[in-house]
Amino acid sequence: MDLTFSDSEAAFRDELRAWFATNDPGPEPSGEDANYAWRRDWQRRLAEGGWAGVHWPREYGGRGATLTESAIFFEELGRARAPLPANVLGLLLAGPTLMTYGTDEQKDRYLTPILTAEEIWCQGFSEPEAGSDLAALKTRAVKDGDGWVVTGQKVWTSGAQHSKWCMLVARTDSEVPKHKGLTYFLMDMEQEGVQVRPLVQITGEPEFNELFIEGARIPDENVLGGVGNGWKVALTTLMNERSGLAFFLQVRLRQLLDELVEEAAARGLLDDPVVADELGRLHMKAEILRLTAYRGLSTIEKYGAPGPEGSLTKWMWSETNQELAQFAADLLGADALTMGNRWAYELLRSRGNTIEGGTTEILKNIVAERVLGLPRLKGATA
Amino acid sequence: MNFDFTDDQHEIKRTARDLLGSRSTFEKVRHAAEGKAYDDALWTELVGLGWPGIAIAEEYGGQGLGSVELAILAEELGHAVAPSPFLSTVTAAAVIQACGSDEQRSRWLPALASGEATGALGVADGLVPDADAAAVIVLLDADGAARVLARADADVTPVDSIDPTRRTARVSAPPGRGEPLAGEGRHGTDRATVAVAAELVGVSQRALEMTVAYVKERRQFDTPVGAYQAISHTCAKMLKDTEGARSATYFAAWAADAEPERLAEAASLAKAAASDGARDVTAAAIQAHGGIGFTWEADVHWLYKRAQVGAALLGGSAPHRARLARILAARLSPTAV
Ligand SMILES: Cc1cc2nc3c(=O)[nH]c(=O)nc-3n(C[C@H](O)[C@H](O)[C@H](O)COP(=O)(O)OP(=O)(O)OC[C@H]3O[C@@H](n4cnc5c(N)ncnc54)[C@H](O)[C@@H]3O)c2cc1C
Repeated sequence: MDLTFSDSEAAFRDELRAWFATNDPGPEPSGEDANYAWRRDWQRRLAEGGWAGVHWPREYGGRGATLTESAIFFEELGRARAPLPANVLGLLLAGPTLMTYGTDEQKDRYLTPILTAEEIWCQGFSEPEAGSDLAALKTRAVKDGDGWVVTGQKVWTSGAQHSKWCMLVARTDSEVPKHKGLTYFLMDMEQEGVQVRPLVQITGEPEFNELFIEGARIPDENVLGGVGNGWKVALTTLMNERSGLAFFLQVRLRQLLDELVEEAAARGLLDDPVVADELGRLHMKAEILRLTAYRGLSTIEKYGAPGPEGSLTKWMWSETNQELAQFAADLLGADALTMGNRWAYELLRSRGNTIEGGTTEILKNIVAERVLGLPRLKGATA
Repeated sequence: MNFDFTDDQHEIKRTARDLLGSRSTFEKVRHAAEGKAYDDALWTELVGLGWPGIAIAEEYGGQGLGSVELAILAEELGHAVAPSPFLSTVTAAAVIQACGSDEQRSRWLPALASGEATGALGVADGLVPDADAAAVIVLLDADGAARVLARADADVTPVDSIDPTRRTARVSAPPGRGEPLAGEGRHGTDRATVAVAAELVGVSQRALEMTVAYVKERRQFDTPVGAYQAISHTCAKMLKDTEGARSATYFAAWAADAEPERLAEAASLAKAAASDGARDVTAAAIQAHGGIGFTWEADVHWLYKRAQVGAALLGGSAPHRARLARILAARLSPTAV
């Protein structure tokens, strides 16, 4: 066991810090569209610096960083108080899934514009009737000549309003058991038959959308991983979703906690044993998250693909982030409850943390069934 | 950066798990606890393997390995709820090694390393596990200073704690008795604290394993109870608490040797996480066992008791959390606190 960073890892961090020191994303603008444009511009600059696909292999235009270096990248991104790049779903989800299942033509066609934020991607998995039970989705794709015609509805599609492409899972065979009749498509969003309607969220902002698909066309070459293989391909996407972001999120959580401690100190509240106890507990939970994420990295580097253990860090992060926001509201009182205050935003936005990317209940099912090997209740699968 | 054990460390863990699995069965634990005695044969065997001296320097007769190896053994002895004075002996030795003068180390450590003497560590006037049987007692006074005493120099009153696998006592000694340790007590107690955290991680791990095995077998309403989410989600949380405490404890054990300037924070992190974790996990284990879990007959109570006493040792969660908050505040703004 050696938790010091190797010389090459330390050099990687230094190089990044030097880059961030001369490349500042500038202040975060308010408003959805301005914010999005800012993050898109930021990704272009990351791409120019060769950092956008930090964890992508070099042959695909990435930096070929190791898992630990990639973790360092996300830590430093957070530390620089820079935003996640606009095409985060493309970089973390679509890209790696394409690399695993794409044909050479697909990789040639899609990977570079993902890196440069030229083409933004969204994830069209969830439906009104199929959220946690993703395999129950009803959106249908029917064979028509050398392509497919799609009809159905998706929901909670983050970033759809800005996206050129959608990772779409649709049912191509309703005669077989539900997991078997699915196919993973790369759907062009800029066509008739695809309508995006923003959904205003708890925070008052529209970040995700409804997607109405009525006779949209997808050519055969846009099937990813083979007809009927959609469930397997989608799981690859979900695996990446749960393992990729932990380090960025944990740094953000730390920064928020540090701000709260400074605020508490400024108000002279640190001598209050209840306050000290709770801040100490939040610090403990944030550190446990960081250390467990690093332990997970070492396990993956030694034994291969990320396991269901990745569910643990997502669970730890979402729970701690919510508790932090709630405690800030306790501590700061009315100040934390006025719109425009960052804690007010956290108090609202953090409720989504235990729902997005798999609810905590589903994560618990995964841990219970796949890590602990407990029997599953009929029907309720993870 | 590599958070995995080395091959040697994996080997130590495997060996300890195998050995204790056959030597420290619950039958043995029960026998020792009901007879208010240690398992002497077990202790003799551990001594033969050199375990009490694992982290004591070679010049004092130890094996000269580090805090990580010590944590590995403490975790496995916790997993086995071993009725032995191991934890008390190694934690007393850790304080003497970190805070004693050369002369103090040469005087006290060889006997602890060889197992000829057993030790105990605790707060003056508090409950000190294994003190009743110890030859060497390290006493922490209210101001954080540490004294080392031969058993005859301390006033030791045996007390039955809720954990009968340890021979607990109240220990006091008027000022002037024993020898003050030369260095700052905190450096030693932080190391000892990590070993206690490691034992608690082992206790949690065992409670999790027993519970998972039980709920897979036990059926109600024609279904294994482990299929019900109230139970399976409880087990998932037991895993999360155990793994979280393990991350913090391994980090602290590593920091103790590799980056001692981070030890204070890491030790409190580990102890708070392991104390909270072990109490929650062992309580959940009893609940998931239902009525049988509440009986003397079933074995989960040994784990619950170990967890409760261990959680209180060298500071419970609350003081360690408050210390974390102070460390954090001081780091953020040197003038706060
Ligand atoms: C901010 C945000 C962004 C999102 N972005 C996207 C996106 O870009 N693309 C996309 O496809 N989706 C996205 N989602 C959707 C998200 O993945 C789903 O909301 C989530 O999977 C839950 O599905 P649901 O909303 O249908 O809830 P339901 O599945 O209806 O769940 C309702 C409640 O029942 C519980 N529950 C359900 N099944 C079980 C079970 N088997 N055992 C125990 N409890 C259960 C849930 O935990 C939850 O508490 C986003 C969601 C949020 C909040």
